[in-house]
Amino acid sequence: MKVSMNMLREYVEIPVSPKEYEAKMIMSGTGVEGVEDISGGMEKVVVGRVVTCNPVENSDHLKICTVDVGAEELLQIVCGAPNVAAGQLVPVALDGSILPGGVKIKKGKLRGNMSEGMLCSSTELKVPVELYPSIGDKGLLIFNEEYPVGSDVRPILGIDDYTVDFEILANRPDCLCAIGMARETAAALGTEFHAPELTVKESDGRIEDEVTVRVDDPDLCPRYTARVIKNVRIAPSPMWMRKYLHGAGLRSINNIVDITNYIMLEYGHPMHAFDLGMVRDRQIIVRRAHEGEKITTLDSVDRVLRSDDLAICDAISATGLAGIMGGEESEITDKTTTVMFECASFDRTAIRLTSRALGMRTESSGRFERGVAAKTTMEALDRACMLVNMLDAGDVAQGVIDIYPNPKPAQVITASVKNIQTRAGVQIPAEAMVDVLAKLQFGVQRDGDTLTVTVPDFREDLDGEADICEECLRIYGYDHIGATALRGETTQGAISPMKHLKNTLGGILQGLGYLEIMNYSFTGLKEIAKLGLPEDDLRNQPMPIRNPLGEDTAVMRSTLACDMLKTLAFNMNHSTEEAYLYEIAAVFSHHTPTKEGLPVETQTLCIGAYGGNTDFYSVRATVEALLRSQGISCEVVAGADPYYHPGRCAQLVRGKQVFAQIGEVHPTVRDRFDMPKRAVMAEINVQQLLEYSSPMNAMKPLPRYPAVSRDLALVMNECIAVGPLMADMRKAAGNLLESIAMFDVYRGIQVGANKKSVAFALTFRASDRTLTEPDVQKAMDKVKKVCSEKYEANIRG
Amino acid sequence: MSVVDTLREIRAQAEQELSQLENTSALETLRVHILGKKGELTALLKGMGKLSAEERPVVGAQINEAREWITDRINQRLATLQAAEREAALKSEAIDVTEPRELPRVGSAHPITLVMDELIECFTGLGFEVLEGPEVELDHYNFELMNLPKNHPARDAQDTFYMDDNIVLRTHTSPMQARAMLTMKPPIRIICPGRVYRADEVDATHSPVFHQMEGLVIDENVSMSDLRGTLEAFVRKLYGDDIKLRFRPSFFPFTEPSAEVDLTCSACSGKGCRICKETGWVEVLGSGMVNPKVLEMCGIDSTKYSGFAFGIGLERIAMKRYGITDMRLLYEGDARLLSQLR
Repeated sequence: MKVSMNMLREYVEIPVSPKEYEAKMIMSGTGVEGVEDISGGMEKVVVGRVVTCNPVENSDHLKICTVDVGAEELLQIVCGAPNVAAGQLVPVALDGSILPGGVKIKKGKLRGNMSEGMLCSSTELKVPVELYPSIGDKGLLIFNEEYPVGSDVRPILGIDDYTVDFEILANRPDCLCAIGMARETAAALGTEFHAPELTVKESDGRIEDEVTVRVDDPDLCPRYTARVIKNVRIAPSPMWMRKYLHGAGLRSINNIVDITNYIMLEYGHPMHAFDLGMVRDRQIIVRRAHEGEKITTLDSVDRVLRSDDLAICDAISATGLAGIMGGEESEITDKTTTVMFECASFDRTAIRLTSRALGMRTESSGRFERGVAAKTTMEALDRACMLVNMLDAGDVAQGVIDIYPNPKPAQVITASVKNIQTRAGVQIPAEAMVDVLAKLQFGVQRDGDTLTVTVPDFREDLDGEADICEECLRIYGYDHIGATALRGETTQGAISPMKHLKNTLGGILQGLGYLEIMNYSFTGLKEIAKLGLPEDDLRNQPMPIRNPLGEDTAVMRSTLACDMLKTLAFNMNHSTEEAYLYEIAAVFSHHTPTKEGLPVETQTLCIGAYGGNTDFYSVRATVEALLRSQGISCEVVAGADPYYHPGRCAQLVRGKQVFAQIGEVHPTVRDRFDMPKRAVMAEINVQQLLEYSSPMNAMKPLPRYPAVSRDLALVMNECIAVGPLMADMRKAAGNLLESIAMFDVYRGIQVGANKKSVAFALTFRASDRTLTEPDVQKAMDKVKKVCSEKYEANIRG
Repeated sequence: MSVVDTLREIRAQAEQELSQLENTSALETLRVHILGKKGELTALLKGMGKLSAEERPVVGAQINEAREWITDRINQRLATLQAAEREAALKSEAIDVTEPRELPRVGSAHPITLVMDELIECFTGLGFEVLEGPEVELDHYNFELMNLPKNHPARDAQDTFYMDDNIVLRTHTSPMQARAMLTMKPPIRIICPGRVYRADEVDATHSPVFHQMEGLVIDENVSMSDLRGTLEAFVRKLYGDDIKLRFRPSFFPFTEPSAEVDLTCSACSGKGCRICKETGWVEVLGSGMVNPKVLEMCGIDSTKYSGFAFGIGLERIAMKRYGITDMRLLYEGDARLLSQLR
């Protein structure tokens, strides 16, 4: 919110520089976005009178002038403006002056003639036309009024001011006005706040004879106050008012409209002015609209209302939207003769919902949404009428309308000095608390430790002692807060088992060269469709967001695969030769919700890699290592989701539990994700891994007897899968087998077409004795038997 | 020749051969030649039987003395030769250590994880427990228990993704605090890190998904100065002892009093620059004393207990640390960037 600093000075002294002021306000709780010198840094530009004015030889437009700027000698200035003439009163930029925007003016020669400054146009001085309408925007600025020569032009042009851009906190709507900020300023600087003294001069005529007002729905309109102005004399507003409106970024319209805007700036109360001549039966009714009722608002838009919208109506129909925008018919025009000023308090939520439903956000609706105190409407209304008196904009009729069926009593909070000190952690003296609260316009009585605090009418943001603590502390100074260590019972610092598991998995992967990536938790249906999952797969029906940012972020991820494939493609298409990536994040499923009705969030690990020596086997080994780190060993079973290469994918299974799937990405899916290279991906259900992960208990005793090793080479049909074969070999070998490993696969002419030779190393050991040759032979015979009988393998050695 | 002469000769010959031989195998041959079963000294010993009882001990002593002397000399020589041979072997095995080889890949955690883990380490050290909760949350926990009832205008400030009227994507990790207060008994010291969501369009400084870490302490007589002490401990850990911290009054519906916490701008050391908008301070987190209304709604007696809470955005810390100026880079998964960070 922008406020003119000169306007603030009407109510409070500000004996500090703009920079210091900014700092003080920030540290007492009001943000300051900036303090702007509205003259744009103008310096040494004064009023001067053109004494003589003659053409320069050899120039068709330059003139040489002598100018009186109140110094001992006249200045000689060369000027190119077509409208310069002797006798004029004009702005003069002296030698060494600064124009808005930082342009420096120095004396120098122009066409051989000394020029000791510059006569300025309104453009050069960047004077807003609305502040000084007579200046025009072409040629030299010529003052129409008399001003002493040599005086600073800034106050004359209404630009001797700073605009402070305050950031008002959401709970302080009372600060959204000059008076509100003046009160805060007084408290922050420790100076005095002076409220305007309100006196309204009433003329002939009584309000009851001009208008009647009825509030049908006081729940949405707790208070409605109004006054009437007769014999309205529409005219431009005076300079001071235009200046303040300008400082706040508002345009001047006419005296009546400007007064309502000025009150909004000064008191924070949105007001509305009705042309009573256009109000049918001169009756105002505040009520909920009828469903489907139509109105035309001030912005000439036809609108259809709902029964939740609060309307301002005349005797016949709705004409305006309460607190948001008035109706077109009763708009103030040059022909207006009788005006009713409305100053009311409307329900925040109702205004908010109507404003949202109709997509209308106005200055007024914004203020009502944040809260406008019902208790202070009458003050603001009287101030408006006082301005009518001051501006002679009309005659104030006698009496007021004040419909306030349930006046709120003054709010009283009791607080303990000691509790405040404890909460703040600062020993604020009781006297200082009383001072601070009084400065903030609270009524305070202190009885020993007890403060009885009466909340001022304009504050509606306080609930109890904690709020009083904040008020005291922020003005006393947050800088007083010291640093103390936590006391009391010690607590165990710990991370959750899930976080621990994520750290372990991440650590292993990082050691293996993988980089962690993070993607958004939402995706688009089109992305998921690229995976080509079966139609009835629930991942095709992810949880939708009601108000997504866009189609590609419209649903919660039901799989991490899409984002991994997208990221692999991104890296491939940025000429990165190889990449090893992983992401650990939740996938969401709302099909069987939790007890609370929330979707199930499953922490999932997705691994993706390409380039280097990446192949199915290397990624499978990585995944097996991750599972082993949690004490889980699995069987490899061919096959996985359809976005994997059907001949190069597998699941890791233990019993009925599938812990992971791994595979090369299906070429069709690669095409859809624009992946020029082969890549391998894996997915692990981390939630499940956590559930089944077995803690490391006791170590196995180290072997005390020697091991016996035997190699076995088998020639078998190409179609025999080695995994199940090894499982059978293990079973056949019995307890004495310590380990079995495949160490070679050979294909070639020697073994024949569609055949392979696979070599295994078997290690036998007993824990209680040294094995004998017959022991090992017996086991080996069983192994060979199953190989030849079940798998038709030829034993080569 | 007397035994004594023979011994002298053996010694002299041994001495000469020892000085001439050049490797350990020649030395071994020499050793066998003198000391072995068929060696010269052994032969002398065997000849002792021919001597008289008087001579025997004398000669025996002389032979033994010669044996010890020679053994000693051989061992000395052996040590020298072994050292020389080792030396030669080492020399021949020397490699060009400057020849380049491919490095093993070393991966890394995402910068957000790196920052998060550092904060977690700091706070677990202070006795805080890490709690994680659902990202898709009930409006009840996300807003209502945080003193943000339905239609509260402050809800607008947190542009919220809704799944339906009662379910939202959590806009902060505060709902986990509510869940903790409802189930735990004071003293409570927890931190809640995690993903949060706001309906912000994506640009260099905004992301609809980002990470927060909130902290909560509930105990008897907890004060603003305890909050400051805790935050100073963590800020020093993160940025070193020179950093200054400033509390600035603010407003959050769930805390009272509330404070924004600013740190000395690291770009200008607090002198004022473009990055800190000439203020010398950079805002890092929001905090305050838990609003008694929030405590009561979460079933904690606000007359007995008080508490503080704070919330830190992790993206901002990560971006500051790694000099990342565009937040989108964090979510792009570009291996060229991620492999640089640690």
